[in-house]
Amino acid sequence: MILGWLRLALFALVGLTVVYFLTSIYSRSVRREKLEKRWVADGLEGDRDAWIEKGMQDYEKGLKKRLLWLIYILPMLAFVATIYFVNWS
Amino acid sequence: MWTKIKWGLRLLLLLIVGLFLHYTLPQRDVVQIINTYNKLTPIGANWIFYSIEDTGTGVETTATTRDIRFIEAVYPDGKSVMVYRNEDTGWIWPPYFKWDSSTLQAEATNYKTDKAKPQWVAVTHYGWRIPMLSIFPNAVKITPVDGPDVTLIPWLNIVILSLLAFALFMLRQMWLQFRERALDPAVDRAGQAWDRVEAEGDVARARARGVWGRFTAWLDTWKGKPRP
Repeated sequence: MILGWLRLALFALVGLTVVYFLTSIYSRSVRREKLEKRWVADGLEGDRDAWIEKGMQDYEKGLKKRLLWLIYILPMLAFVATIYFVNWS
Repeated sequence: MWTKIKWGLRLLLLLIVGLFLHYTLPQRDVVQIINTYNKLTPIGANWIFYSIEDTGTGVETTATTRDIRFIEAVYPDGKSVMVYRNEDTGWIWPPYFKWDSSTLQAEATNYKTDKAKPQWVAVTHYGWRIPMLSIFPNAVKITPVDGPDVTLIPWLNIVILSLLAFALFMLRQMWLQFRERALDPAVDRAGQAWDRVEAEGDVARARARGVWGRFTAWLDTWKGKPRP
């Protein structure tokens, strides 16, 4: 039983970490594309690369980046909820 | 021919995924429980449709024969019946994390009624009843309902399937983004690099023609004529 628990924890950790990294790469890429398009749409001038890097740094500190932790939190909540509803409620 | 094979494989994959989900996702039957009992059950090649051995009810007996709790029920039509097994599930799959088989059996026995005054219950279960393989759906939860005609909306399945569809959609979006932002530029760069190499090669060849070209041309004069 205990070993089963450890195995599940390990699988979940590995699987969710893969999902987390894929999603964070995707999200970063989407943000960068958005910034590049805004640079053109707003007709901004000056150092384009520096402006985009600034935007990316804001993203790294922003709320959206932190919301990615939900990738770990939501499955764990689902796990606890399943145990509760199957065995106790 | 090739497209037919491709579509055949796609359909096969869809069928496998569909059957897998149909086996694993919870379903609810409105039934009347008519009997509950234990039975020593031999488990052989059909082991995959029973709980694995390191679950709570799995370790209680040996691997080949196991004392399994069963629940017999009858559907509202009064004729068709269903037999559920009642086993703990493991930690990995199917992810029900059910450890309360004994309690569930007690609940089932508690809801057992005569045909004359039936207590209708919704039995949440997963799995299939296939007599040929001696396999039974595993009951997970029993809740009393008002009557045999009650409508149960499978909210959980709606949520799970929506999440699966969302995950597939996101995977596709990720792949498209990756192709647009990483793969295509890399291919372009490689193509440009190749063009450059070729252009440089042309220049170099033209330059080498001076000394080297004359030398190889001279060497060629020593070659024999191509034989027929």
